[in-house]
Amino acid sequence: MTNIVSLQKVTKDYGEGDALTHALRGVDLMVEAGEFTAMAGPSGSGKSTLLNIIGGLDRPTAGRVEVDGREINTLSKTDLSLLRRDRIGFIFQSYNLIPVLTALENAEYVLMLQGIPNAERRERVREVLKEVGLEGLENRYPRQLSGGQQQRVAIARAIVSEPALVLADEPTANVDSDTGKSLLDLMRRLNETKGVTFFFSTHEEAVMKRARRLLQIRDGVIFNDQAH
Amino acid sequence: MIVRLAWRSIWRNRRRTLITIISIGFGLACTVFFIAIAEGVYAQFIDQVVRMQAGHITLESPRYRSGPAVDIWFEAPESLRSQIERLPQVERTKLIILGQGIARSASGDVSVTLMGIEPSVELHTSPVVRHMVEGRYLNNQDGPWVVIGSGLAKRLKLGVGKKMVITTNDIAGNLVDELCRVRGIFKTGSVEIDGYFIQAPIAFARRLFDLPEEGATQLGVVLKTPQAQEAVLQKTRTMVSQQDIAVLPWQEVIPEIASYIKLDRGSNLIFQAILVFLILFTIFNTILMSVLERQREFAVVLALGTNPLLLRLQILMESVYLGLIGCALGLVVGGLAAWAVQVWGIDLSSLLEKGFTISGFAVSTKMHARVTIGLLLGTGGLVFAATLILSLIPMHRATRLSIVDQLR
Repeated sequence: MTNIVSLQKVTKDYGEGDALTHALRGVDLMVEAGEFTAMAGPSGSGKSTLLNIIGGLDRPTAGRVEVDGREINTLSKTDLSLLRRDRIGFIFQSYNLIPVLTALENAEYVLMLQGIPNAERRERVREVLKEVGLEGLENRYPRQLSGGQQQRVAIARAIVSEPALVLADEPTANVDSDTGKSLLDLMRRLNETKGVTFFFSTHEEAVMKRARRLLQIRDGVIFNDQAH
Repeated sequence: MIVRLAWRSIWRNRRRTLITIISIGFGLACTVFFIAIAEGVYAQFIDQVVRMQAGHITLESPRYRSGPAVDIWFEAPESLRSQIERLPQVERTKLIILGQGIARSASGDVSVTLMGIEPSVELHTSPVVRHMVEGRYLNNQDGPWVVIGSGLAKRLKLGVGKKMVITTNDIAGNLVDELCRVRGIFKTGSVEIDGYFIQAPIAFARRLFDLPEEGATQLGVVLKTPQAQEAVLQKTRTMVSQQDIAVLPWQEVIPEIASYIKLDRGSNLIFQAILVFLILFTIFNTILMSVLERQREFAVVLALGTNPLLLRLQILMESVYLGLIGCALGLVVGGLAAWAVQVWGIDLSSLLEKGFTISGFAVSTKMHARVTIGLLLGTGGLVFAATLILSLIPMHRATRLSIVDQLR
């Protein structure tokens, strides 16, 4: 299998002097295409920092980070932006949809950035929205959707461009347990049927159990890596 | 989609957007209205003054300005007048003789300015005609008849048909006096004009000052539109290039009026600049606020891979929408209000019962605005361009944010 993510001795420090914080301490990690990996750990353990670095939103203090075969440290801001646009999908804890765009428009946003023609992107978005169970709700604005439905739109937005990797930061944290379970079922199904690689952070026991690989992180160190 | 996103984004906070648009509109409308009023008053005043004096363009002896006196006269041949009058921008030409003298009656004497005029021409140009309060204006058949101001009539206790004597020096320096009668009395509202100004037929003035036929102190050129001044000035200068004649714009003939307008326009400009600054401050505030409160959203779209240039374009488009709608509103409201004042005027006579004067010339108490495409495009364009420039700082801030910090 191909490595989608490869981290070697990655560290990340914040602040300086007495205020120096080591968010990541020499993390080594490989994520292969098609994985469904959860990363668990308490608040402040370094989960979000690791996701941000893998997602090209932040740069490590030291170490080597490769995503989809490209070393992130060597990329310019523009190239990083293109990597995120074309190869990485993001799902945020609080959905982060654009409030003035409809579900369909939110989902097609990345395709628009990629310059996909209008007709083609509409067709692809409708298909994906149907897949995530939002058929008939395409023209609703985020405020007209429930939390679970909004997160489904966010999932649709993340997968519609068929990225190599989808990063999700506590995707079920803002919804009730039933909705969280159905969202997880959806992501798992997309992973199994479409081969989408998911890498997500969580602190919920139920979510950890559904992952096929579970990483446990504490104080910036991955101390447990086990396959389910 | 960016265009759609920008349009919808400005309506997220409907009340703030409406207040901004109304602020832009109101400020621009006031600017347009007040500039149009000021320009209208200037145009009206200049028109009145140049028609009463020696036109938009004046031909005279090159030595006249250094010591204005009737003995520095020049010959204005009929052929030159015809040549000038053939220019399409010229309404008419007027010959005048300006001299000083003393007007005497049985009740006293007053130092006066005597203007010899062509009654048939002045009938169509001189504002004095509109201000006759007793008797009638002069005509070409009038011999030694004059029209005088109400102030002068009062001081010399003169009425229509009464006799007076004008004493002056002719061009040779001889002391001369002529008997004349009052044909009419005018009241312009200017103390100087009404108290010390006399108009007489040019033939009478020539006889008084002993000037030859075609002799005059000035040949005035009245234009159909003041905008044609520069073109006609150049053409007239070419016509008289071989002659000992100076061709001057009215600004050099009546410099005190030109200076007053320049000064007044300058102070108006400061007032307008303050108004525009306030509008721009409102716009800047709105755009900045709307950007600052969407930092997280911008972080999300940047995280998704949006090119920062595209994000800047979106913010620019939002400013374009605000500017376009606000400017359109301001131009329509201000333009229509100014146009109404241009057509119907505002009569301030009840507020200014005694009228008011600038450098001795009465200003009409009925104000008319002057709206031009240039004014609308200029002020609207300025505010619109400034709106776009002001959006540069918020645009810059939106793309300089830390994605990680905003998403935390």
